[in-house]
Amino acid sequence: MLAIAGIVFGFGVSGMTGAALYFSPAIAAAFQDFGHTIHHKPATATATPKAHATVAPAAALPTPTAAPAGAPGGSFTVLLLGSDNDAKFATNVVLTQSMILARIDPATRHVTMVSIPRDLNVQLSTGGTDKIDKAYLYGGVDAAINTVEQDFGVHIDHYAWIGLLGLVHLIDEVGGVDVVASNPVLDDFYPKDLSGSDPYDFQRVAVLPGPQHMDGIEALQYVRSRHDDLRSDFGRSVRQQQVLLALRAKAKLLGIADLPDIASAMSGQFTTDMSLGQVGLLLPIAGNVSLTDVQQVVLLPPYTDAQVIGNQDVLAPNWDLILPLVHKYFPAR
Amino acid sequence: MRRGALIVALLVAWAAFGFGINRLLDSRKSTLIQARSAISPTKETPAFTLPGTIWVSQGGHLYKLRGRLFTDVALPAAAGSWIQPAIAGPGQLLVVARAAEYSDIYLVDASGAVRQLTRNANAAHVERNAWSYWPHLAADGTTVVFAYDGPKIGTFEVHLAVWSGPLSGKLESTQWTTPTSYTGGDVAPVPLLDGGVLYSSYSITSSEQIVSRIAAVARPGASPVFLTAGSDDCGEPAVSPDGSELAVVCTSDTQTARLELIPLVKGVPGAPKVLIRSCLCASPAWSPDGSSLLYLAPADATGHFQLWWLANPAAATPPAPRALTTNLDLDATSPPAWSSA
Repeated sequence: MLAIAGIVFGFGVSGMTGAALYFSPAIAAAFQDFGHTIHHKPATATATPKAHATVAPAAALPTPTAAPAGAPGGSFTVLLLGSDNDAKFATNVVLTQSMILARIDPATRHVTMVSIPRDLNVQLSTGGTDKIDKAYLYGGVDAAINTVEQDFGVHIDHYAWIGLLGLVHLIDEVGGVDVVASNPVLDDFYPKDLSGSDPYDFQRVAVLPGPQHMDGIEALQYVRSRHDDLRSDFGRSVRQQQVLLALRAKAKLLGIADLPDIASAMSGQFTTDMSLGQVGLLLPIAGNVSLTDVQQVVLLPPYTDAQVIGNQDVLAPNWDLILPLVHKYFPAR
Repeated sequence: MRRGALIVALLVAWAAFGFGINRLLDSRKSTLIQARSAISPTKETPAFTLPGTIWVSQGGHLYKLRGRLFTDVALPAAAGSWIQPAIAGPGQLLVVARAAEYSDIYLVDASGAVRQLTRNANAAHVERNAWSYWPHLAADGTTVVFAYDGPKIGTFEVHLAVWSGPLSGKLESTQWTTPTSYTGGDVAPVPLLDGGVLYSSYSITSSEQIVSRIAAVARPGASPVFLTAGSDDCGEPAVSPDGSELAVVCTSDTQTARLELIPLVKGVPGAPKVLIRSCLCASPAWSPDGSSLLYLAPADATGHFQLWWLANPAAATPPAPRALTTNLDLDATSPPAWSSA
């Protein structure tokens, strides 16, 4: 009897060893990239932009309900951050070129994405007023989250940050993405910072219009280029949301067995407060969201107004318009 | 002795079981991750045959399909990726060779010999390089119409416009259109039988969306006539050989597309008919006799674009499209070319 138990135990150990070896990249990533803690700054009256006090969400708008973070099946808010973390910057001393506030309701399969312009001139949680992309530079992910929370008056349950190569590798790992390029994206001054010896050099890129299958580099060029778009950063925000939705389409085809390859591909280029298990649970949720259930918001004028402050091109937020819009989809803090 | 053999057998069985679990998990990867690499067209057997010869592009190579056999045309790799073939008379093609920061148009003959028609490289000044795309030979048999981003210095603005030039001379001779700034410009020109050009024109709406309209110009510098509305966001025009039908890809500024057919009577568009809804249809191309259409679209979740064939698109109820290939990864921005020979 004991011998049989020993044999069975041996099979159990060998099976678990085989599985552990298979999942080892994901396990390593779980310690390194996943499960980071968010240090929320308590809401204070002084930290809130002036306009907040004068604007309340419109009475006619539905009031989204806040679910506790991690509540099973409950709606939650994620701040998606993307940075140009090329050789020009020291590790983790980077701006956030992309900030997307996303509200996900697994029950209704409804997703709302609000792109926050990187040039939005706001009160930073670290003090002072500056472009919102500098929050991460000054105080890392906590400062980025706290700045968005205090200025937009929302609670952020989770965040995910990705670097340039993380996005490239993720897209390559899922075999590319299918995107309808909305227009020709041509740029003579696209950063040549992922290849070559000079990270300050430029290169020409041309992404042709129409439906197509993009690999990671092509997709990065599509979402990162901004010089030849009349809408500048706004145009880029629209394209970023398109690629995000294309990745969503791939998510529904991924399973737990794909996590090691994906974790390996994004190693060192991705961080989140979510656990690996939570991310695994998100995959089918993302996959079940239909394009018609995705609300995409870009804060174009009149929500923002282009200004020059101290020799810097910035976007001045029109909080009277932004806050009711945001609180229509995101529960107030 | 027997006990030792049993232990060895157990160790082998445990190791095999662990290895088996590892491989079982590996086999459970999604098809996306397992099938990242599409096969070469030369290893693909098309599902059925079509008459004539069809040229397509994959991975920077130009392939010729005749019957059920794909052949690599084997153009010089040093020139770049070979895309956007267009018939330029018997046994000849106009093809784009795309390098990292510029692209050029070449004339390719049946033997695979190439003649470079544009020279867009400028190693000293990166912004003085140029892109040339979508070449087509006009009905006069001597003029090449194409999209070109023109000379420019020290500006962020890069846009394509419709240009033309003689096949035997300087191709960048005549600018036909003045594109809307900072939208990407005017692309995918198609010469018409009457000497005009039809193309895809990008503009920006009052709600700051960049959309495409199909436009026609009678001569260089003439005011464009728009054949589709901005809200339909139509592009990638393909005109039937007799000029009576226009196939377009419309997206209505969304991430899905539809293939539409628009009858043309003396250049005036009739009511559009949707041939295929909710697809990622791209780059339609007519058969030489105008009786059927080829287009590119994914056939499965990998998203790799395949060659599809639609018979009799002008019929009141066209038959369902058929996938000619299933395992390729064709360049969706490179319309196929189809000749009768």
